[in-house]
Amino acid sequence: MTTSLRLAWTGLLRAPGRTLTRVVVLTASVALLGGMLLFVGNSLRTVSAGAVRSVPIDLQGPVTSYASARSVAAGIAHQPGVLQASATATAPLARTTHSGSAGATSAGNGGLLAVPTDYLRHIKTFRYLQGGLRPGGVVLDQQMAATLQARVGDSVTLTTRHGAPPVTLKVSGVALVSSADQLFQPLNPTTGPAPAQPPANIAVVDIGTFAKRLAPALRTITPASVGSSAQPGAQDGVQWQVQTQLDPAPLSAGSPSQAFAAAGQAKNRLERSLPGKVQFVDNLSDQLNIAAGDALYAQTLYIMLAIPGALIALGLAYLAALGTVDRDRRDLSLLRARGATRRDLLTLAGIESVIVGAVAGLAGAGLAFAAVQLLVKGGAQLTLGRALLTAGACVLLAIAGAAAARLGASASVLRGSVVAGRRAVQRERRPLWQRLYVDVACLAVSGLIYWLTARTGFSAVVNPDSNPTLSLSVYMFFAPALLWIGATLLLVRLRGGALAWAARRAAGTRPRTLRGFLLASAGRRGAPINRGLVVVGLLLAFGVNLGIFSATYNQQANVDAQLTLGADVTATAAPGVAAKQNLPATIARVPGVQATTGVDHSYAYIGPDLQDTYGIDPATFTKATTLRDSYFLDTTAKQALADLQARPDGILVGKETITDFSLRKGDLLRLRVLDHASGAFKVVPFHVIGTVQEFPSAPKDSFMITNLHYLAAATHSGGPNVVFAKTGGDPAAVAGRVAAATASSGTEVHNIAEQTAKTTSSITTVDLTGISRIEEAFAVLLAAGAMGLFVALAIAERRQELATMAALGAPLRDIAAFLWSEAALVLAAGIALATGLGWLLSKMLVAMLQHVFDPPPDALAIPWGYLAGLGGAAIAATLVATALALRGLRRLPLGAILREQ
Amino acid sequence: MSAQATERTTLAACDGVSVVYGDGPARVVALDAVDLRITSGERVALWGRSGSGKTTLLHVLGGLVTPTAGSVSWHGEPLSSLDAAARGRARAQGIAYVFQGANLLPSFTAFENVAFALRASGHMDGDLDPAGLLELVGLSAKLDALPSELSGGEAQRVAIARALGQMPELLLCDEPTGHLDSDTGTRVLDLVDALQDEFGFALVLATHDADVAARAARTVTLLDGRVVDEEEGR
Repeated sequence: MTTSLRLAWTGLLRAPGRTLTRVVVLTASVALLGGMLLFVGNSLRTVSAGAVRSVPIDLQGPVTSYASARSVAAGIAHQPGVLQASATATAPLARTTHSGSAGATSAGNGGLLAVPTDYLRHIKTFRYLQGGLRPGGVVLDQQMAATLQARVGDSVTLTTRHGAPPVTLKVSGVALVSSADQLFQPLNPTTGPAPAQPPANIAVVDIGTFAKRLAPALRTITPASVGSSAQPGAQDGVQWQVQTQLDPAPLSAGSPSQAFAAAGQAKNRLERSLPGKVQFVDNLSDQLNIAAGDALYAQTLYIMLAIPGALIALGLAYLAALGTVDRDRRDLSLLRARGATRRDLLTLAGIESVIVGAVAGLAGAGLAFAAVQLLVKGGAQLTLGRALLTAGACVLLAIAGAAAARLGASASVLRGSVVAGRRAVQRERRPLWQRLYVDVACLAVSGLIYWLTARTGFSAVVNPDSNPTLSLSVYMFFAPALLWIGATLLLVRLRGGALAWAARRAAGTRPRTLRGFLLASAGRRGAPINRGLVVVGLLLAFGVNLGIFSATYNQQANVDAQLTLGADVTATAAPGVAAKQNLPATIARVPGVQATTGVDHSYAYIGPDLQDTYGIDPATFTKATTLRDSYFLDTTAKQALADLQARPDGILVGKETITDFSLRKGDLLRLRVLDHASGAFKVVPFHVIGTVQEFPSAPKDSFMITNLHYLAAATHSGGPNVVFAKTGGDPAAVAGRVAAATASSGTEVHNIAEQTAKTTSSITTVDLTGISRIEEAFAVLLAAGAMGLFVALAIAERRQELATMAALGAPLRDIAAFLWSEAALVLAAGIALATGLGWLLSKMLVAMLQHVFDPPPDALAIPWGYLAGLGGAAIAATLVATALALRGLRRLPLGAILREQ
Repeated sequence: MSAQATERTTLAACDGVSVVYGDGPARVVALDAVDLRITSGERVALWGRSGSGKTTLLHVLGGLVTPTAGSVSWHGEPLSSLDAAARGRARAQGIAYVFQGANLLPSFTAFENVAFALRASGHMDGDLDPAGLLELVGLSAKLDALPSELSGGEAQRVAIARALGQMPELLLCDEPTGHLDSDTGTRVLDLVDALQDEFGFALVLATHDADVAARAARTVTLLDGRVVDEEEGR
């Protein structure tokens, strides 16, 4: 063992260039894997944090009285890991009336939410748009306020059930209730969360006022009677409950699975601390359970994106090992001739691999830390444990990679006889996979899986509750995985035959010119050229696939967020303010804002249905936000806007409404809209000009789009109440400037970055930016390295040939041409291969994720800048390597090389 | 040095040439203060055991190895002080090699190997034709054969045709029969002799075989990098 160690150490030191090349290539390879490991760890914590953040109420514990609710809340509020515990209640609302200047207006069935005045500290189930909750007052949900035409300061009368005494309260605020489905869900701890259809009209009252003035008229829901409230709108009594929010920090420190376990333990601990007094409905664990499934999807996605790159990078290590394979083979054969057994040689190769792998692994881990720190938002978030784990994994991978490359390159001498090993020309046998046509089988199965999944609509599973979640079968990823494997093996099988054939054809018979000699030479060097093509082409394909997929994914995530918010930045103002203070023009002047458009968001009755209605300016709308053709049925976005502009009373109606009301294009549609001048609803005629499925900021179900000027003239609304802005820079920064510029107008400003963070589905919040940046950086570096290595390898392998040319008196530039022409051929073929394979892979991946995106992508996004950088790096590396090769050729020890036999 | 040699034009000359490889304990003196003159048309054998410095001297004469000390001239012009490109031009214009293992370019056919040498030496547009040269060495049927498809003797004959394509004034042959059986080796040497008679180039042949050396007009004996004897032959 000591002798082997000494031999291995001496061998590594005797050829410092060879050793350094192996270390550098392995370092780059494991750095890519290490970066991926770090990123996946961080990303899983992000998914956990996103899931924890998305739950408005972590735990809801049903109790039987106000006193019990207060007692339980007090008992758990100060326990470790608890941020807030509040005594709350929900109750039915049979009727609400408001008497204004235009007469009495009433709203039908709804729900009452009773909370303490400090409720919104950590529980974010609603937010105030105006005013706030006061004892003795009521806060109306904005839709209810619009229906009742009630404003802050008005009085409304609440009737909890038919026959109950009405209670008149002063409106102290208007709110947007965002988590009605959780708030009003039936609470049965044994069955768990069951988000139900929330009530349409919601009023929020102080819990003290509720207990004193409203609750006495209602029965109390007990665990035994909870089933009756499971039907939407069927809650017939008071549901006293304790709402609890846990500290998100410890839950966000690990993977969703770990967070799921921690959340369950926290709930059990709380229930145990108050035995028999409360049992919780655990919304948090429910969400984390879904997140754990999504995390599996995210991990699969990362693996699909990262593993091919890492494997190709290890292929680069194999290529580096091949550079000296002949010398290694002869050295090993010599050792065998001198009595070393195969086991001795394996031990020697193993020790060499451990030394090289340990150095490369540690360097790779360092590079991975640096890359993640520099390229990923939030940095590496290293702890000692994570650092040691990553470094350990990198060292093990590097040792395995070094051993695989070393043994792979020298396999023949280890298997064969001493005489065969010492032979200059080795006889090759087709490997088993070629004889079994594994490559063809992989490609066929890949195509079959893709066809099957495409045929069945990519088998996305959507949970159609009010907070949709989506799960994908990880088996779908077999299609791109098998495409990678099949394409790689097929390339290896072809051995550059097509390229060689083309080169020989171009060279012609019996060439006499340099061009002819170059082509003739290339035509007979298919195998070594193919080896370069496999690594360079696949690396570039990996880069292209990664770039296109990431760009498309990011584009769609952005489109998704933009569809939800409306635009990069939105500013909401009170009715009339935007027009009076000309907010669209004011915002347009803010640095970073490229264009603005005003939108009048209001409500209109179509029959008995109250629907969101958007008045837009077709001339400026697409300057400030994005419309996609897929938003409209049977027309394009451009045509739909042109049609709207051409017909002032035109209206685009949601698909569901078109079906429900049997509407057709050209039909007269009479809507009841609120006339702000009179305060009463009035009928306004519109004409249907088309069907709309999605629209920026509109809800998913029923809404209508019409001309801003026509709507404003009919409703006397005073113009737009929302301004959409397109930004040229960081939306968050621009939003800050917009908020500052419009502060005096009382605007509420939001931006797309904030919206993306709020998105509740954890699949769409899987942030590929970090892993894309890491891998794109490595792809560029490795592509450059691969080309450099190809040229270096060509010099190493052909040194005797090149020396012979020099001995014949061939000019150095002619000799160099044999190197750069092959490099150019590999590069050109690699780029062609990468374009085709990369495009196909990204198309396959994007197609499989169609249902992740809302809306699905119209086309792949092409990141031209990155792709140019990728190709440019490979070309630059080729030029530099060729220049260095030319310099090296001048210094070739011709005499020594020509004596080598 | 013979009087006959000094009367002819001196093509290449080594003056006090030493070549040292490595340093410290690994230091090897390949040539030690060697003086040698090669005149036009003469036939010289460099004879000695393995490691005596024959190949190194051949490489020094052809400008493939730069001496550690002393000077080498080609047509009276210093060769050893030129850069790699200039030495390459000098080789292309008059010095050809035939190596022990033929050293054919492996991805070229026999025709292409000869054609490449013709182009390198600037004789592609002249009267020489690669096919004609290969016919001259008896390989007209192997024009499109790759080196891997040729026997050792055939490969060496291609190497000779390739050398002829350079229209050399000096042909340097390094153990040209070292990898061949004796019959084939004799045929190759006969061919070289015949071609020398026809084309008139000077021939320097490095060999460890006394019989091969005996075919030369002058035999220079090397031992441990030094010229220890020089005698006129046939």
